[in-house]
Amino acid sequence: MQKDIVQQVLNHPKYVELVKRRTRVSMIFFATALIIYSGFILTLAYLPDLFAQPLGEGWTMSVGVLTGILVVFSAVIMIALYVHFSNKYFDPLLEQVVRDVE
Amino acid sequence: MKKTLISALLLSLFAQPAFAGTGQANTSAIVMFLLFIAGTMVITWWAARKTQTTSDFYTAGGGITGFQNGLAIAGDYISAASFLGIAGLVYVSGFYGIIYAIGFLFGWPVVMFLIAERLRNLGRFNFADVTAFRLGQTQMRILASSASLLIIALYLIAQMVGAGKLIVLLFGIEYKFSVVIIGVLMMIYVFFGGMTATTWVQIIKAVLMLTGGTLLAGLVLYQFGFNADTMLAEAVRVHPNGVEIMAPGTAVSDHPLNALSLGIALAFGTAGLPHILMRFFTVSSAQEARKSVIWASSFIGYFYLLTFIIGFGAIALLVRHPEYFTTAADGSFNMLTDLIGGTNMAAVHLSNAVGGSLLLGFLAAVTFATIVAVVAGLALAGAAAIAHDLYANVIARGRSTEAQEMRISKISILVLGVLAILLGIVFEHQNVAFMVGLAFAIAASANFPVLVLSVSWRGCTTRGATIGGFVGLLFATVWVVLSKTVWVDVFGNVDPITPFPNPGIFSIPLAFLSIWFFSITDKGANAQNERDAFDALTVRSQTGIGRSGATEH
Repeated sequence: MQKDIVQQVLNHPKYVELVKRRTRVSMIFFATALIIYSGFILTLAYLPDLFAQPLGEGWTMSVGVLTGILVVFSAVIMIALYVHFSNKYFDPLLEQVVRDVE
Repeated sequence: MKKTLISALLLSLFAQPAFAGTGQANTSAIVMFLLFIAGTMVITWWAARKTQTTSDFYTAGGGITGFQNGLAIAGDYISAASFLGIAGLVYVSGFYGIIYAIGFLFGWPVVMFLIAERLRNLGRFNFADVTAFRLGQTQMRILASSASLLIIALYLIAQMVGAGKLIVLLFGIEYKFSVVIIGVLMMIYVFFGGMTATTWVQIIKAVLMLTGGTLLAGLVLYQFGFNADTMLAEAVRVHPNGVEIMAPGTAVSDHPLNALSLGIALAFGTAGLPHILMRFFTVSSAQEARKSVIWASSFIGYFYLLTFIIGFGAIALLVRHPEYFTTAADGSFNMLTDLIGGTNMAAVHLSNAVGGSLLLGFLAAVTFATIVAVVAGLALAGAAAIAHDLYANVIARGRSTEAQEMRISKISILVLGVLAILLGIVFEHQNVAFMVGLAFAIAASANFPVLVLSVSWRGCTTRGATIGGFVGLLFATVWVVLSKTVWVDVFGNVDPITPFPNPGIFSIPLAFLSIWFFSITDKGANAQNERDAFDALTVRSQTGIGRSGATEH
């Protein structure tokens, strides 16, 4: 790729906006995923008794098993939300940058 | 020519039941199995006609849609190791199995939020292509192929041994024969059909696996009036460990750091697995790559939920069927140690218990095909490492023709196939669970840090990435070799040298630190050029500008 195209893109205001917003959004998502996941792993490693409790009177399912199931759902939901963000906000910005440069 | 060869091989496959008579061959399982093999052979034949260039061979020419690719990724994930293995783990220790499932799954958000799109925009084949974009070709490709080949070898062993055992149980064929069959089938798929065939086999398999799993879990829940808690209550009632199966258990509380370390390796390893990364390049655009991740994680998440039901259901139901256990003279048995074929076969026995031999046959055929397909994907990634990284770019230094590269990859497939068969036979009696764990640990310690820093940190240089990557690779490998799983269980020493088996919690930060340290102290002229090239890489990885075709390299 030629140097001038690189510079042209780097100086494009929409590109700057795109990179700034996308980096922020993906970092927020990544941090959330990390908190959920490490929260789950840390709890089971250091507070196993909390996870061992049954959900309530008459239940066999434990807090840990339900949390595990919810954690599985959370992963899929986070990815779906991120893709929604990308399609709705980032792709239009990206298209504009590409159109202006090429 | 190809056609006759394939039909000859097909014929020899149909002749198999002749030597299947040595054990308790299951007729419906064999019929299902042969139907599936025949179907996939037709796909391979069809794909072989379409596979002309190296790009077709490695990435199916970028012509796979996001939904299809999502299924194929899910197919790679729903391997025999995760389906049989996690169901088996849940069967033995309940909650503990869930940890693995969640770890495997959480690799996806990491991949998605950190690197998927940027890799996709760069438009490269694999890990080495991405890192060599601005860092030194030779060093990066040597690092990448070392790590990739090690990961692939470990994975191959785990899958071959798992498949071998399954076939012994179901078809009554001798272990060595079944390993040879898997190896030969794998070579046929990859050799003639390349990525197009491998992808389509994965897609079909994923659909069948999801259908079979849904059916099995549904039939299990049906027995308990579709009330999951009733099923869990019954599982707790009959399991020797009782209510403990609902809790993390002593395995975790004795070594909390080990659980943490395993968790980290599982989540970050996905991003460094060569056969998974390659799949981002089989689709035509970043949008499609994104779609494929959404589909893949949905299917994988759904399938793991099914696996929990199947695992707990197996605890609750299998105990009612003494015929699945090796019983003592008085008819008593231990549900954990006496299950025929080992606890990994829990899901297989369960399908027989709730769905009869037809469901058993279906699930067995699909599970077997799963292994062949995963092995094929692995072999393809291995061939890419040898032919594309080592041969075309390091040995021939880019002067090779496409035809030469194709020839080398086909030779590599043959070598890898023979190697897989041999390793499968040699490691027949070894515990293979740790191999998948080690593969993830190496991917997370060697590939992942290099990949992330080379695309996101300007300061990263060839020296830093090479030293850091190898430090991660060696540290993780040596740690595992000195741990209980190898030092004690395989080599027969009395005490392990490392305190617990999973290295991730140390090896991953160590790799990051080494890359950082050896990069900032790198004052060479090349280092400056590499830092300057970061702008071009950033622009391309953020926008895809400069990437002319989907899969051109």
